[in-house]
Amino acid sequence: MIGNMAQIKRLVLDVLKPHEPTIIQLAHDLGDVDNVDGVNLSLYEVDQQTENVKITIEGSDISYNLVEHVIENLGGVVHSVDEIAAGKKIVEEEETLHDR
Amino acid sequence: MNFNIEEGRYIILGSVDGLLATLGIIIGVSIGNVGNSIVVGAALGGAIALAMTNSLGAYLAESAVEYGKLTVTEKSLLRKLENTYVESLTRKKIMRDSATHGVSSFIGSLVPISPYLLSTGSPIISIGLSLIALALLGFYSGFISKRNYIISIIKMVGLGMIIVIMVNVLKLGR
Repeated sequence: MIGNMAQIKRLVLDVLKPHEPTIIQLAHDLGDVDNVDGVNLSLYEVDQQTENVKITIEGSDISYNLVEHVIENLGGVVHSVDEIAAGKKIVEEEETLHDR
Repeated sequence: MNFNIEEGRYIILGSVDGLLATLGIIIGVSIGNVGNSIVVGAALGGAIALAMTNSLGAYLAESAVEYGKLTVTEKSLLRKLENTYVESLTRKKIMRDSATHGVSSFIGSLVPISPYLLSTGSPIISIGLSLIALALLGFYSGFISKRNYIISIIKMVGLGMIIVIMVNVLKLGR
């Protein structure tokens, strides 16, 4: 039902970005996005020109477009959306037999 | 202390350039026993031209190098970085380096000219002031490199003296 979509509460992104600006600035800018309560950025791979960052964002009604705009403005590219939680509350991933 | 080493490079480059090139002009012109105003005119003309060419040179060189780096990053990211914060950082760096090189060059040039501007000019005073300025630049160079300050000062003043001696030996003003 477009126009009354469930609010995004958590977003986990895999982002490729240049070394400059640093993840500190990226964290500041993402933290300033409307309805974002907190962000967590972790660097997991460093290349000669680029670095891969896992970004976790939590908030009350996160706008993916705004988040993507901030990342792209700072030179990054969203490689994949690895996890997303939407609705009235955050539902954690349940472990299944395949995960054991 | 938020210190940008790139600016230090252009401060030293520009200042040494301005100091020694203008000192060369002053020594060359004053050999002909000309008036104070002619020395000031020649030295200021040289200083302004040098500041502008240094600034333009830094702009062209930095543009080529920095946009080259940006292109390499674009290839790694598989995207263009036009109109992004990253490109604005590149543009700011080019403008800052260009301005630093030009302004440092002009300020450096003012050191040997200053006695003539105060109508107390003589090549000896200009050489003395320039060597003091080179010693300060040597100290600054030692601060940037985090190496021995004394060696940096000796190196800077020594190289300056070699240039002064060479200009005097050539006696281009005659």
